Amino acid sequence: MPAFRVNKVTPHIALLPMALTVLVAYIGAALWTFKTSFTASRTFASDNFIGAAQYVRLFDNERWLLSLHNLAVYGVCFIIACMVLGFLLAAFIDQNVSGEGFLRTVFLYPYAMSFIATGLVWQWMLAPGAGIEGAVQSLGFTSFRFDWIIDQELVIYTIVIAAVWQASGLVMAMMLAGLRGVDPEIYKAARLDGIPAWRVYLQIVLPMLGPTVATVFLLLCTAVVKLYDAVVAMTGGGPGTASEVPAKFIMDHLFLRSNIGLASAGAVTLLIPVLALLAPYAYARSRRKRA
Amino acid sequence: MFTVRTLAAACAWLCVCAPALAAAAAVAQAPKAEVIHWWTSGGESAAVKQVAQAYRDAGGVWIDTAIAGGDQSRAVTINRIVGGNPPTAAQFNTSKQFLDVIEAGMLNNVDKVARAQNWDQMLPEPIVDVIKVDGHYYAVPLNIHMQTWFWYSKAAFKKAGIEKEPESMGEFFAALDKLKAAGIIPLAHGGQSWQETVLFSAILANMGGKELYLKAMRDRDQATLLGPDFRKVMLAFKRLKSYVDAGSPGRNWNDATALVISGKAGFQVMGDWAKGEFTNARQIAGQHYGCMAGFNAATPYLIQGDVFVFPQTDSAQAVRAQQLLAKVVSQPDLQVTFSKLKGSIPVRTDVNAAELDVCARKGIEIMKDRGRQAGVTEVYLTPDQNGAMQDVLTAYWNTNMPVEKAQKSIANALKY
Amino acid sequence: MSDTALQAAPMTFDTAPAARRKRRLSPARIGVYAFLFSAALYFLLPLYVMIITSFKSMDEIRSGNVFALPLFATVEPWQNAWRQVSGGFWNSVAITVPSTIIPILLGAINGYALSFWKPRGANLLFGVLLAGAFIPVQVMIYPLVWMMARAGVFGSLPAIVLVHVIFGMPIMTLLFRNYYASVPHELFQAARIDGGGFWRIFGQVMLPMSLPIIVVAAIMQVTGVWNDYILGLVFAGRDNAPMTVQLNNVINTTTGTRLYNVNMAATILTAAVPLAIYFFSGRWFVRGIAAGAVKG
Repeated sequence: MPAFRVNKVTPHIALLPMALTVLVAYIGAALWTFKTSFTASRTFASDNFIGAAQYVRLFDNERWLLSLHNLAVYGVCFIIACMVLGFLLAAFIDQNVSGEGFLRTVFLYPYAMSFIATGLVWQWMLAPGAGIEGAVQSLGFTSFRFDWIIDQELVIYTIVIAAVWQASGLVMAMMLAGLRGVDPEIYKAARLDGIPAWRVYLQIVLPMLGPTVATVFLLLCTAVVKLYDAVVAMTGGGPGTASEVPAKFIMDHLFLRSNIGLASAGAVTLLIPVLALLAPYAYARSRRKRA
Repeated sequence: MFTVRTLAAACAWLCVCAPALAAAAAVAQAPKAEVIHWWTSGGESAAVKQVAQAYRDAGGVWIDTAIAGGDQSRAVTINRIVGGNPPTAAQFNTSKQFLDVIEAGMLNNVDKVARAQNWDQMLPEPIVDVIKVDGHYYAVPLNIHMQTWFWYSKAAFKKAGIEKEPESMGEFFAALDKLKAAGIIPLAHGGQSWQETVLFSAILANMGGKELYLKAMRDRDQATLLGPDFRKVMLAFKRLKSYVDAGSPGRNWNDATALVISGKAGFQVMGDWAKGEFTNARQIAGQHYGCMAGFNAATPYLIQGDVFVFPQTDSAQAVRAQQLLAKVVSQPDLQVTFSKLKGSIPVRTDVNAAELDVCARKGIEIMKDRGRQAGVTEVYLTPDQNGAMQDVLTAYWNTNMPVEKAQKSIANALKY
Repeated sequence: MSDTALQAAPMTFDTAPAARRKRRLSPARIGVYAFLFSAALYFLLPLYVMIITSFKSMDEIRSGNVFALPLFATVEPWQNAWRQVSGGFWNSVAITVPSTIIPILLGAINGYALSFWKPRGANLLFGVLLAGAFIPVQVMIYPLVWMMARAGVFGSLPAIVLVHVIFGMPIMTLLFRNYYASVPHELFQAARIDGGGFWRIFGQVMLPMSLPIIVVAAIMQVTGVWNDYILGLVFAGRDNAPMTVQLNNVINTTTGTRLYNVNMAATILTAAVPLAIYFFSGRWFVRGIAAGAVKG
């Protein structure tokens, strides 16, 4: 029957833009990057193949290795902090507090602002002497120290502070919505059983938010891998190279250092762990769907 | 039917339209130049407006495309060249930034203007080395900046009891000690990797002199880089860290200049664009602040600057626009006006320097001595090599890296 | 003031009626407010610094304290900032409107097809698309420039819209797919039995009930596109440069002087549009996700 056949074909046709985007833009760009990572391309892409020399140079580069380490530290802290803070904010707002609309806007507005200027503000606030350290000291606590931003080891945590500020509002909004979908009967029943509120949230409600948590986690992961603006605005990768992150390393070498061969090698190296993490997740999801 | 009236009407029509058409044709013929540059802040944009005006006075049409941030601006230029929509002219620094573009055959040359104005004789050697490749000239220089001026606050000097400008490294450290004793930040520094490289270049130039500097940065001689003289320079460089305040990491250079302006700090090592900050704070050279190009007459004058390059195009109109721009920019009057507003010095030394400030005049005098001319590291190193060295220097500055390791890393970085 | 039932959601929900919690000022309640208050402080502090800085003169900024209120407040930075960034406003609008509508439409179609029709190979395609969401944008610039140049569209409004469509597709598709996954399948079956085809069901059944998630998607996409800088800089061409390019021209400078007060004012001005959208549609935003957008 023609209708039947049309219905078979139409979804494929409807998905044509997606297929084109994936194949031409994403896979095309990925292949181009992969190819370039094996060449000695400088400002322009060249065909001068040099084997895996860029990768050798990459892993011989302390700045790159440090950026990977920073990304791991940052990623764990950022994701945990965002999800905890986001959940807490959502849970507390859910308690029928007055001024909810105002509070929601307060927590969401950082997401609307470009990090170029807000990052600078964080830099000022976290600067030793002036900023928060100076303000607290002038209040009388003269031995208060908060100079993480100039410390080689601790600077990455200052980036976490600013990035959590920017992103947890979004997490809160998503969690709040999830919470709003929870059957209010559960709270009633729990109170009748005498279960304290915090246990209700932690042991009953949170597991129900499983899917919400999973999606938020995915979105936060993409944000972690693409971290660039915050680092540039706050520390410029410093002090020295202490707060370097892979996206910044790649970007610097793409344009500033005119070395797209090395940048491509970095990009490929960055994508591999992502794929490694994503594949089992996708596999688990497809299993769950079939089940 | 062809009546006299029709003929008259036709003549009248022609007489009215012809001049209009001719005017339109003339306007259509006016060389149009779209110029990409990154002069967006106060003094800079005032300076580029002068160039635009001079271009208009010469009969051209100037289309301004300002994109702040050198690397962003250059990225757009490169992408537009790749994308087949190049600007008529684009700003680059006097460096190896555009060497790849030349070698890919993507720039038009300006040989005609160069030979007419005798650039080989008129321009400093470091500049010619950068713009002349295989006998052709690919860029027209606009100005000269010097990267390693020593700025100092006269008020701070007075408070610390420093009576004259230091004339050697020893005297410099003595002055720094005096400032420290007086409770003033001896050296105002912004902890960004490029600023550390500026500081290092200053020490290399002042301590090592022209020979060591060129051997290390231009020839990339491995023996020199691993040798004892270079080691001394690196140790002196690291020694400066103890004269810098704790809040320096990540600081923008303007904020460091602000410390000198307010007298909270004594010295800053920065390029002559710093004059803009002093001027904005209504301070006058020689009165509130002083400027030193180096400790003595042996210090090389480290040149950098801005150039226009001309992306490859076959359009005759565009080529004409490019040639006109090259000619306009090289005029002495425009050179002086441009530099005055930007804080640089003109490329030509045969200019009337009366309008420029004390520090600029000092610079022009030094430039007349061809023996003192050298380029900043970017003139000799590719962006990649320079960047790799920068990474080592900033790590050495900020961590406890032993000097031997730093030396080896720099030697390695400059080997590629 | 709490959100009550959502109009078009497949499930109703409502926050606990006011009677659920008695408004006692118990220690727990005080704790709640204390926590929210301190969190609000953390969130508002940078905004406070931005605003007071934007009203100070440069002299005051140079010599003063970051947190101190301006001694001599001036609106000159705001005038300066407005003068510099207002030119790009309409360009930003011209870029943002199509760059929001088209990705949302495509995301909806993709999500719909993936959730209900499940053509062969679609899930694999979706998986690759999602992986693409992890690629830093800058990495794709060169190949995209090259491709667009070959196609002859580089440096124009269609080019930047196309780029935003490409980069927006992963998240948009994810949002809609998850939203439709929570819609009862029976609804779809019933529509098929009634004789509906692919487009009929989409247009008459699914799209109308997607209003909440469309609002969510619009908010996320508008924010992303409006604040985008690097893509607009490279792909839009000189005549279509968005407001963020001008913002960068105000803020960024290599060797020029920096006017921090103007920078702050310009940033707030540029952020005004996404902020306004949040403020006025904040309730929908939460509601929309409530309708199951994030139920994986």
